[in-house]
Amino acid sequence: MERAVPLAVPLGQTEVFQALQRLHMTIFSQSVSPCGKFLAAGNNYGQIAIFSLSAALSSEAKEESKKPMVTFQAHDGPIYSMVSTERHLLSAGDGEVKAWLWVEVLKKGCKELWHRQPPYRTSLEVPEINALLLVPKENSLILAGGDCQLHTMDLETGTFTRALRGHTDYIHCLALRERSPEVLSGGEDGTVRLWDLRMAKEVQTIEVYKHEECSRPQNGRWIGCLATDSDWMVCGGGPALTLWHLRSSTPTTVFPMRAPQKHVTFYQDLILSAGQGCCVNQWQLSGELKAQVPGSSPGLLSLCLNQQPAAPECKVLTAAGNSCRVDVFTNLGYRAFSLSF
Amino acid sequence: MSSESSKKRKPKVIRSDGTPTEGKRNRSDTEQEGKYYSEEAEVDLRDPGRDYELYKYTCQELQRLMAEIQDLKSRGGKDVAIEIEERRIQSCVHFMTLKKLNRLAHIRLKKGRDQTHEAKQKVDAYHLQLQNLLYEVMHLQKEITKCLEFKSKHEEIDLVSLEEFYKEAPPDISKAEVTMGDPHQQTLARLDWELEQRKRLAEKYRECLSNKEKILKEIEVKKEYLSSLQPRLNSIMQASLPVQEYLFMPFDQAHKQYETARHLPPPLYVLFVQATAYGQACDKMLSVAIEGSVDEAKALFKPPEDSQDDESDSDAEEEQTTKRRRPTLGVQLDDKRKEMLKRHPLSVMLDLKCKDDSVLHLTFYYLMNLNIMTVKAKVTTTTELITPISAGDLLSPDSVLSCLYPGDHGKKTPNPANQYQFDKVGILTLRDYVLDLGHPYLWVQKLGGLHFPKEQPQQTVIADHSLSASHMETTMKLLKTRVQSRLALHKQFASLEHGIVPVTSDCQYLFPAKVVSRLVKWVTIPHEDYMELHFTKDIVEAGLAGDTNLYYMALIERGTAKLQAAVVLNPGYSSIPPIFRLSLNWKGEKTNSNDDNIRAMESEVNVCYKELCGPRPSHQLLTNQLQRLCVLLDVYLETESHDDSVEGPKEFPQEKMCLRLFRGPSRMKPFKYNHPQGFFSHR
Repeated sequence: MERAVPLAVPLGQTEVFQALQRLHMTIFSQSVSPCGKFLAAGNNYGQIAIFSLSAALSSEAKEESKKPMVTFQAHDGPIYSMVSTERHLLSAGDGEVKAWLWVEVLKKGCKELWHRQPPYRTSLEVPEINALLLVPKENSLILAGGDCQLHTMDLETGTFTRALRGHTDYIHCLALRERSPEVLSGGEDGTVRLWDLRMAKEVQTIEVYKHEECSRPQNGRWIGCLATDSDWMVCGGGPALTLWHLRSSTPTTVFPMRAPQKHVTFYQDLILSAGQGCCVNQWQLSGELKAQVPGSSPGLLSLCLNQQPAAPECKVLTAAGNSCRVDVFTNLGYRAFSLSF
Repeated sequence: MSSESSKKRKPKVIRSDGTPTEGKRNRSDTEQEGKYYSEEAEVDLRDPGRDYELYKYTCQELQRLMAEIQDLKSRGGKDVAIEIEERRIQSCVHFMTLKKLNRLAHIRLKKGRDQTHEAKQKVDAYHLQLQNLLYEVMHLQKEITKCLEFKSKHEEIDLVSLEEFYKEAPPDISKAEVTMGDPHQQTLARLDWELEQRKRLAEKYRECLSNKEKILKEIEVKKEYLSSLQPRLNSIMQASLPVQEYLFMPFDQAHKQYETARHLPPPLYVLFVQATAYGQACDKMLSVAIEGSVDEAKALFKPPEDSQDDESDSDAEEEQTTKRRRPTLGVQLDDKRKEMLKRHPLSVMLDLKCKDDSVLHLTFYYLMNLNIMTVKAKVTTTTELITPISAGDLLSPDSVLSCLYPGDHGKKTPNPANQYQFDKVGILTLRDYVLDLGHPYLWVQKLGGLHFPKEQPQQTVIADHSLSASHMETTMKLLKTRVQSRLALHKQFASLEHGIVPVTSDCQYLFPAKVVSRLVKWVTIPHEDYMELHFTKDIVEAGLAGDTNLYYMALIERGTAKLQAAVVLNPGYSSIPPIFRLSLNWKGEKTNSNDDNIRAMESEVNVCYKELCGPRPSHQLLTNQLQRLCVLLDVYLETESHDDSVEGPKEFPQEKMCLRLFRGPSRMKPFKYNHPQGFFSHR
């Protein structure tokens, strides 16, 4: 009589575990491929999922199109930030940045092209990298995060050229001011600092929390999100979402949003922001709320606009946050559908 | 003409009859002359022809006279009257002649008739005689044929053939010289010989009978002897039982069991065989027994006579009841249902003994008409268990074995064919009868070798040994784990209800030494209440909150902060972890939808549960999770950033050692405890 080998783990356990994982998943970062047809999303378990936007947006899209084409374990820890260059996908999380080839990434079993770790001061705990910024003029990458410094890495050689110090607490977000070129960084210490890359020095500091119009001490002073449009900057987080005039360092408009915002971006003549609360908020520059479009996650952490010229049919806004879903907005007025891990 | 025929006969008749009448007449005439006149005699003398002529003449005369009278009357005159009178008188005379002639004719007719009658009678008599004779002839002929056909009995006897006869018969019987010639004698001789032979054989037969009697008696005696031996052997076997036990070879007991097992229905038999085999080979703590009435089981297999008896009995009963009242449709349906759900009188009982001496008693039944097996379970422990309020369902017989394998809730019949049977008697689902009949779990069917495919009902599902064998080991292990984990939970619940989270010493390393938050409440909540909570909606939507789970609410407090935790306990604990959902009431209500840190805390206990399992068999999972929640609450409260606008010190001073308070875009608190350094960091 043949005996079947008894299963070590009953099927129910894995299913329950997978369901729990999905329930507690947070998608921190997104990035669109250079061709504009694919979207990469990174979550708190260190996984990257590649979604095919063109398939999901096409007219014969089925349920499977809303699932990732490929999912792989990229990092050990959460992936807080991702950017895409002409050919690469760069992802960063717990202390190191990895690069992947976009053409390779679509196939299964992809291996990273390279990984680099900026020189950290402390060795007790590996600081996280919260923000990545590409500086196309220099062909370099700026990393910022837990160790309160901005590191610049040359993409050709992979060496770390600068380390800009100044923040007293860890850095949340980065923004690039094309003209100068200058980099803005916002941090946990409540300041927004401007850095001149050529001189490698801090040129301006704005202490947001000290301004009464926007400070909200009950939320804290941290700056969670930053966006800039040459002379203007919008930032938010603990303090209210505010539009600043950079030269004069004065707040011009305070957007009346109670929930702390985690991501903000300029789009055409609007400002889009998202944060705690499930909606993507659209603001006029005057400070009026134009629309509030609800998404499917209870809180949003990242917004991504697909403006790649190669794929105009995939021009969508995607939002992700405290769930395993990425909301796709084909029209800023409503949520079309959601992709899901 | 009648007169001519009478004329022909007349002479004969006259001869025979005429003389006596003449004689009479003569005598009467001579004795009394002219006393009376016999017209009959006159008839004989007269000639009918002449009478006829006379008649004709008379008629003519009459006619003539009438005509004359007529003439005279028509003519008229005085002397006519005398002429008429004269003629009248003549007519009268003629009338009288006519009358006489008429009388004579009548008499003649009568005589003729009498004569005919006599002759006819004679003919009849002869005819009768003829008939009699013919009949007698026929009778005699019949007799003759009968005699000719007569076969004597002796021809039926199968006599030995002639040669044999002459060979074997002794000469005094065969009498060859006489019999050869005369077949009659030969036959007689042969019959004689037959008789002789038969007598001899009868003699022999009697001898043999008596022999047989003798031998039978001997056999009886020997049987007696043997049967007297049987109780002695039994007593020897009894005496040897202690020896058997001493040597751990309970053959006797096993033998008895196998005897009873023969009457088990096939699935129970498969279960019995496989369980015994498993117990002998792998697990000495498993004991198998058969319970129930063997006689009833035997009674099930006597169809014809018993059913006839039953029919007559039931007919009699039915008559009786119809006299009182007719059973209602509902009662009849009830009876049909009971019949359908009937159990086989025998059941198999398995006792699984666990390491801590608690025993799981499983009784397996077989429902004959539905072809499924059910099980009833009971857990007994060495010491009396005081059941804490929240642990009511843990060890209840109804739910202790629920979902032993994922999804196997035992409330529905696993045999798809049963649905059609149920429709006939109006049973909706087996769930209503489960408490009484036992649960028809899928693993029970597999242990009995019954394999029901998911899709269509199969015609016959036979009990299969290989299916049972492959599942036996896994199921036994799962059963043991189940009982152990339930008992462990039982004990833990008792402690939890008193507000103490029982953390064993080998799990202490998972937590810091000082934990300030306390568990103040641990209650069981019904399924519906769990579904109503506002912070558990995503668990419900993910399909993790079915009705086979158990639900609890824990309340952890520190200072003014109250943390509510809704717990889903899957029957497959502890391989399937309990799932927590939190709601913190401190400076407003915080749940995972509005506070990322609460989400992180839930993730710590739900997703990272494997670290909290503790040593195998990981019964400490729930208590460790609860302890971790307390630690997490401590960290949360202590690392809350101070609101500068509010006066006064922090409610919870930071006592935990943390490298960094916030990290990442979500500004997570350091929830991960590092051992043995004792500081908190981020994942």
